Amino acid sequence: MLYKLLPIVEKEIINNKYFILTFSNYDMAGQCYPGQFFRLKNPQQNFPILPRPFSIHNVYENKVSFLIKKVGTATIQFSAMKVGQKIALLGPLGNGFTLHQNKKILIVSGGIGYAPFPFLVGKLNQMKNEIFFFHGGKTAEDIFSNDVIDFTEDGSIGEEGLVTDGIEQFLQKNQVDVVYACGPQMMLKKVTEICKQFNIDLQVSLETIMACGIGVCCGCTIRIIENGKMVYKKVCKDGTVFDGYKVVWNE
Amino acid sequence: MADLKIKIGKMLWKNPVTVASGTFGLEYAELFDISQLGAIVTKTITLLPKPGNEPPRLAETEAGLLNSIGLQNPGLENFIKNDLSEYQKFDTNIIVSIAGSSISEFGEVIQELDRQPEIDGYEINISCPNVENEGIAFGTDKGIVHNLISHLRKITNRTIIVKLTPNITFIEEIAISAEKAGADALSLINTVYGMAIDIETRKPKIKNGIAGYSGIGIKPIALQNVYKVAKVVKIPIIGMGGIRNTNDALEFIIAGASAIAVGTQNFVNPLICLEIIQGLEKYLDEQKIQYNDLIGSVR
Ligand SMILES: Cc1cc2nc3c(=O)[nH]c(=O)nc-3n(C[C@H](O)[C@H](O)[C@H](O)COP(=O)(O)OP(=O)(O)OC[C@H]3O[C@@H](n4cnc5c(N)ncnc54)[C@H](O)[C@@H]3O)c2cc1C
Ligand SMILES: Cc1cc2nc3c(=O)[nH]c(=O)nc-3n(C[C@H](O)[C@H](O)[C@H](O)COP(=O)(O)O)c2cc1C
Ligand code: FES
Repeated sequence: MLYKLLPIVEKEIINNKYFILTFSNYDMAGQCYPGQFFRLKNPQQNFPILPRPFSIHNVYENKVSFLIKKVGTATIQFSAMKVGQKIALLGPLGNGFTLHQNKKILIVSGGIGYAPFPFLVGKLNQMKNEIFFFHGGKTAEDIFSNDVIDFTEDGSIGEEGLVTDGIEQFLQKNQVDVVYACGPQMMLKKVTEICKQFNIDLQVSLETIMACGIGVCCGCTIRIIENGKMVYKKVCKDGTVFDGYKVVWNE
Repeated sequence: MADLKIKIGKMLWKNPVTVASGTFGLEYAELFDISQLGAIVTKTITLLPKPGNEPPRLAETEAGLLNSIGLQNPGLENFIKNDLSEYQKFDTNIIVSIAGSSISEFGEVIQELDRQPEIDGYEINISCPNVENEGIAFGTDKGIVHNLISHLRKITNRTIIVKLTPNITFIEEIAISAEKAGADALSLINTVYGMAIDIETRKPKIKNGIAGYSGIGIKPIALQNVYKVAKVVKIPIIGMGGIRNTNDALEFIIAGASAIAVGTQNFVNPLICLEIIQGLEKYLDEQKIQYNDLIGSVR
């Protein structure tokens, strides 16, 4: 974990909703592991107060990039920043995904849940896994790559429908060893139900509001079933990746 | 160079900057040398482990943070077994924050901690707004505060700091009764009651409804509490509530705080305590004033 004020070295605007910010730092890039995240804050702005968490999108040539969706004050501020302007970064944080070797792997993402996967896919490819990547979004704007199997709710690109319907059909015909998923709670809950039917190992990456991001405030807790008992776990430090079957999903 | 040393009870601090309970952990040692702090205050510990309140426990507002952690902690035994030896590695004062649901429970915790080496003081948290029996109720009755602190004073020779709540009408009364009962110092303030509502769902943003409010929005409240209490007690005050930079810290010191603690701002800038230590040195050098002369120098 490092804390640094770094200039934006690259900014890529994907569309009206999404953009990528890239930072260059040898030490930070060297520490990154798939599924981990950083906290970003524009030091020039007092509001919003807290830094915001973003998954590591990709790591290459000592660079770390973040895929960001404009949703509110902080992300809109970031979207207006230019190359050369500085952002305070804290990370890498969290435990990340457990990697596998020589396995059949299914990746499922919804919306901005796509963010952590390019880095993970790169690592899984090096480890000789066979990967099937399903991604869902509301419209064509929420689709990031043509290399994955895409679903849109309005059918504007890829197949029409929910990504969860897609993976259910896929799993009826194909066997996989592990599923990695990231996206909205409702989607992850559904993915968990589907994986249960087929009895597949499942790793989900969760989101909560965070104050410290490093495990000291106990603010980001979720409910987990451990040894038959419900316990609170910190998403920032014990996660963000959890065994999907142990998560007590919100109604 | 300015001399920032200060005495808080029986402790000598190398500088007057510490961290607020519940907002700091040894995780930060990865980012900077935390031995440079005047003291480290642990998260509040209770006799038995506490799971904490139901999530969501956090909400950010326009001018501060709402939290309802509910004193989640591993309990005394686990704290001693797993955490204390880690704290003892650092070359600074270690203050253990404690809470309890009865006077005898507070006593039991201190008795046990007194057997452990390298603890320099206790912060008695009688002001947490997020728990029922071991929280704020204790800190709002001057009679109970007197009985509690007198009892603890008989048990330990280590420094006793009493942490007060601003959520009452006459904080001075509570402060005076803590001092009379033998407290060595006071911490103020703990969080203020606060709330936020999601207008889509019409539910409170914090599961518990009402929460503890901290950060920049409470600074004026904290400052006037420090100012009021400094006028009526002789023991040192550790001031906190919305401190984000050196200037904020200076306001508290000028109002009467002998030392300051940073809470919420640690989450924003983990190096803020170091920056404040350096900022205080610079101010004293520039103003050519001794630290002790600055304390309570409000005109
Ligand atoms: C571990 C983790 C990884 C994430 N990765 C990405 C990513 O790669 N790309 C991406 O675009 N988004 C990611 N997010 C979501 C991102 O953090 C939020 O979109 C961002 O915080 C919104 O901030 P805002 O000020 O723009 O919006 P606001 O209007 O302030 O908030 C919108 C929503 O963002 C969330 N949020 C607000 N404050 C916080 C906070 N302090 N901590 C966590 N969540 C908060 C809340 O759900 C809130 O309802 C991630 C979240 C987490 C927890
Ligand atoms: C997330 C969080 C957890 C806290 N936990 C404790 C605690 O365990 N014990 C305690 O005495 N105060 C606790 N507090 C209160 C702080 O120690 C401090 O009194 C308060 O936040 C005001 O300071 P600030 O505005 O600088 O944060 C907590 C505050 C926050 C934000
Ligand atoms: S955000 Fe503080 S413990 Fe996770």
